[in-house]
Amino acid sequence: MTTMIAGDDVYAIAEDLFAAMVDGEPGTVRPWTLPLPDWTDPVHAWVDLHGDWSGRAVVTTERATADDLARALLGLPAEEAVSEEDLQDAFGEVANVVGGNVKSLLPRTGTMGLPQVASVAPLLPGSALVTQVLLDWGGRVLELTVRDVP
Amino acid sequence: MIRVLVADDSRVMRQIVIRTLRQAGYDWDVREAADGAQALDAVRADEPDVILSDWNMPGMTGMDLLRRLRQEGFDTPLGFVTSEGSPEMRALAEREGALFLIAKPFTPEAFREVIDPVLA
Repeated sequence: MTTMIAGDDVYAIAEDLFAAMVDGEPGTVRPWTLPLPDWTDPVHAWVDLHGDWSGRAVVTTERATADDLARALLGLPAEEAVSEEDLQDAFGEVANVVGGNVKSLLPRTGTMGLPQVASVAPLLPGSALVTQVLLDWGGRVLELTVRDVP
Repeated sequence: MIRVLVADDSRVMRQIVIRTLRQAGYDWDVREAADGAQALDAVRADEPDVILSDWNMPGMTGMDLLRRLRQEGFDTPLGFVTSEGSPEMRALAEREGALFLIAKPFTPEAFREVIDPVLA
């Protein structure tokens, strides 16, 4: 089964996520209009979706941005260090919310795995990009992708 | 004071749920559980007034927790707080006797919309 997850839908999910749980107000994200820069110290968080359609929702950003996301989610001050555990937990939850909402767009929802976080992009041989959204969060870029996994 | 048990395998998400409860105006006594099994133990030890549980947790899921509680005779009101808010999941939650399902991302208003009618 093939499926179409529209970029606009994924962008709307991200907008809601940042407005409701990260920044507590709307309008803090907008589309990233420049080319995607090369990652220097990336972090990837993803969840796998299984069912009539199987795929993966991945969120990627620079570690410093993921740290800021974790601080925002945890309500920590800007100068406070973020532990590896909190970074994995918080950034994994970002992917979990994105993936759960992507799953809700599918005609039949199937099941969803637990969030995973790593500094190396997960390999998915044979997968195909369904949609890619680039998000500008205060001048920092986040990449959200959904891939079809055969 | 209402006593709530918040079950989620993410510490960050438990913290956000607790913060959102306060922002929604609920000054409740809060306990936390890191998965369904911990939540089950917590209910057996000291039944809370309400449970807010994630659905997708390792080991015992939120749905497993709900079913197990009912099997053991606990009728503790349980609401899901989950990233998976599809109509299919909502229907399943309702069929199994969940009080409500709050989809992530959520706002204090979303909490009030489902919790206020239950308290009324």
